[in-house]
Amino acid sequence: MGATALTAGSLGTTSKASGQAKPIPKDPIKIAAVSFLTGAAAAPFGIPGDNTYKMCADMINKEGGILGRRIDLQSKDEAGGVDAQVKLCRKLILEDKVDVVLGYISSASCLAVLPLSDELGGLIIAYDCGTHELMEGAKSPFDVPKFKLGFRSKAHLGIDNIALALYIKKYYPNIKKVAGINQDYAWGRDSWLIFETAMKKLMPQVQVVKTLWPPLGNTDFTAHISALMGSEPDIVHSSLWGGDAVTFSKQAVGMGFFKKIRMAYSRGEPYPQEGGKDYPENQIICCAGTHYFLFTPKDKASADLQKSFVAEYQKRYGKYPTYPCYHAYQAIYAYKHAVEKASKAAGGGWPTIEEISKALTGLSFPTPSGILTIRDDHNGYEDCLVGVTKLTPKYPFPILDKTEIFPATQVNPPVGTKTVDWINSWK
Amino acid sequence: MWIIYTLNGLYFAALLFLISLGLNIILGVMGVLNLAHGSLYAIGAFVAAWVIIAIGMKVPTFFIFVTLLSGMFMVGLVGLIMEKSLIRFMYKRTLEYQLLLTFGALMLLEDVIKMIWGGQAYYASAPFDLLGKADIFGHVYPAYFLFVMCIALIAGLLIWLFMAKTKVGIMLRAISLDREMATGLGLDINRLSTFAFVLGSALAGLAGALVVPTTPALLGFGHEPLILGFIVVVVGGLGSLKGALVGALLVGFTRSFGIAIFPEIELPLLFLIAGIILVVKPEGLFGR
Repeated sequence: MGATALTAGSLGTTSKASGQAKPIPKDPIKIAAVSFLTGAAAAPFGIPGDNTYKMCADMINKEGGILGRRIDLQSKDEAGGVDAQVKLCRKLILEDKVDVVLGYISSASCLAVLPLSDELGGLIIAYDCGTHELMEGAKSPFDVPKFKLGFRSKAHLGIDNIALALYIKKYYPNIKKVAGINQDYAWGRDSWLIFETAMKKLMPQVQVVKTLWPPLGNTDFTAHISALMGSEPDIVHSSLWGGDAVTFSKQAVGMGFFKKIRMAYSRGEPYPQEGGKDYPENQIICCAGTHYFLFTPKDKASADLQKSFVAEYQKRYGKYPTYPCYHAYQAIYAYKHAVEKASKAAGGGWPTIEEISKALTGLSFPTPSGILTIRDDHNGYEDCLVGVTKLTPKYPFPILDKTEIFPATQVNPPVGTKTVDWINSWK
Repeated sequence: MWIIYTLNGLYFAALLFLISLGLNIILGVMGVLNLAHGSLYAIGAFVAAWVIIAIGMKVPTFFIFVTLLSGMFMVGLVGLIMEKSLIRFMYKRTLEYQLLLTFGALMLLEDVIKMIWGGQAYYASAPFDLLGKADIFGHVYPAYFLFVMCIALIAGLLIWLFMAKTKVGIMLRAISLDREMATGLGLDINRLSTFAFVLGSALAGLAGALVVPTTPALLGFGHEPLILGFIVVVVGGLGSLKGALVGALLVGFTRSFGIAIFPEIELPLLFLIAGIILVVKPEGLFGR
């Protein structure tokens, strides 16, 4: 990756031969954190993610850094489209010589940038993008990993949509009709594909009565809302995010939508907090994992981390952390744990990029939302939490009630199998 | 549900009418194809959102008008500065220069928005919440959407009266019909062009201010309305008030009923209709 790592790497090879520990450079670790800092995805995802990176870097530096090296965090904007991101990533790796790139909210960014990891020899950890295609091959079974130096420290969108279908089957077994409203690009289309495939397997009697594809950044949902109301579904699946999710909800409340229909949001976790008391109750919300500020992980180490993480984030930013915050935590701490694990395996010193990559594969560590494992396909492996919104006197916005945690084995496809093929193989 | 589909079509048409009316006045009177019109609409939205947020969420009803007027006046002012400093040098240039310059203005205004308001989304739904819900034949419908339709109707009537009955309006129409003849007759083309640009910009600002209580203002806010505004102008015909109205209604209803009946091809359907009209009647439905 950067000069630091390469130098350390070459020193490592020499020192390994002589049986000595590799020296740990004294300069700071350069970490680039790429998130949307402007545009529609900034407020709901980019800014909370970037805030968390800053908070975690401070926390790590306060505790002495990674193997004694401080983190020099560089926040970068993901706006500007795929071409701009490819250029930025090349610059970060080749010119700025960063040690690791943590980043990307958009699936399009991830699909374009991750191949650069192997091409340029730079470590890239995708932290928030959802597409299931990122680490999957053309057909099952496929070889893993797809990228030697490219990782994603979270599970893909499969878990959100499979968990929603499982939740609907459990809590609303008598529904007859569903519909979908998803943005007209890869994210929306992929989310609906997984949900629809899972629903056909789990509840074949349920009929799909309407599928709508508003463009990204749509400002008028009235026509979509009435079209959905006209088709009278029991539940509407949606992966709308950011301003679109807020606009849809606001206009739908005004049109009496929620009196008749229930929404099932695959990534709806940030919006009740944003919408406040006006946010409708009884809506099904998925947390893109178990990333919820009221969730208590089973293991003590994770539970303790969750307590301190929520308290620290709230103290700094005046809000409860939302799922992108948990994703940012996972990315930066995955790097920290991998460096420490690799160093230990090599008998001390600063590990090479290949050693860090090897340590990331199969890494398991506690996070505020539970134990995170990065599998052989270089993809995160997580449980998934779903619940319904309910107002309580304790919070100024609806919290999640009737929460259900679907274990990772139930919502993640096996390594080397495509998600759709795996769902279709369900008995 | 058909009554609601119709109301949705009317609401969308009301916003498009205001946007395309401004675009049409600027194009008709000045012969300038203003690609920055969407950015002016966005500035109207940001200014109104900023005023609503600054005042707080609990505002008296009449204040809705203040917020709307703030967007309109501020964008009128931006239009004045833009015309005096950039646009007026383009009147005698060919279309390519105009496109380059107004596209440059679009980029510039986007950066100005970014500098002033940053990359954050601005939520300002107080007027929408304040007006509550109306009962339309047993269907719940936001009263704010009805309010938007009324404002667009009033604005359209005022512009029509202005163009048909006042001396300045008649002079503007004269320029639009034959610029050379109007110059020959001694009309002050420069001042009238400035006026037309400010009026067109203010209408875009009003549309932006009207929409922001229903959706957050954020960067890139004006791109979609610009494209749809152009479709309305193409369909309705250049320089025609009636054309802007009919074009906006056609686009509004195609969208509303298209999403309900053929959701997969709603947008292509819109372009198909515009394409057919261009082939059959290249000057647009009511163009000259």
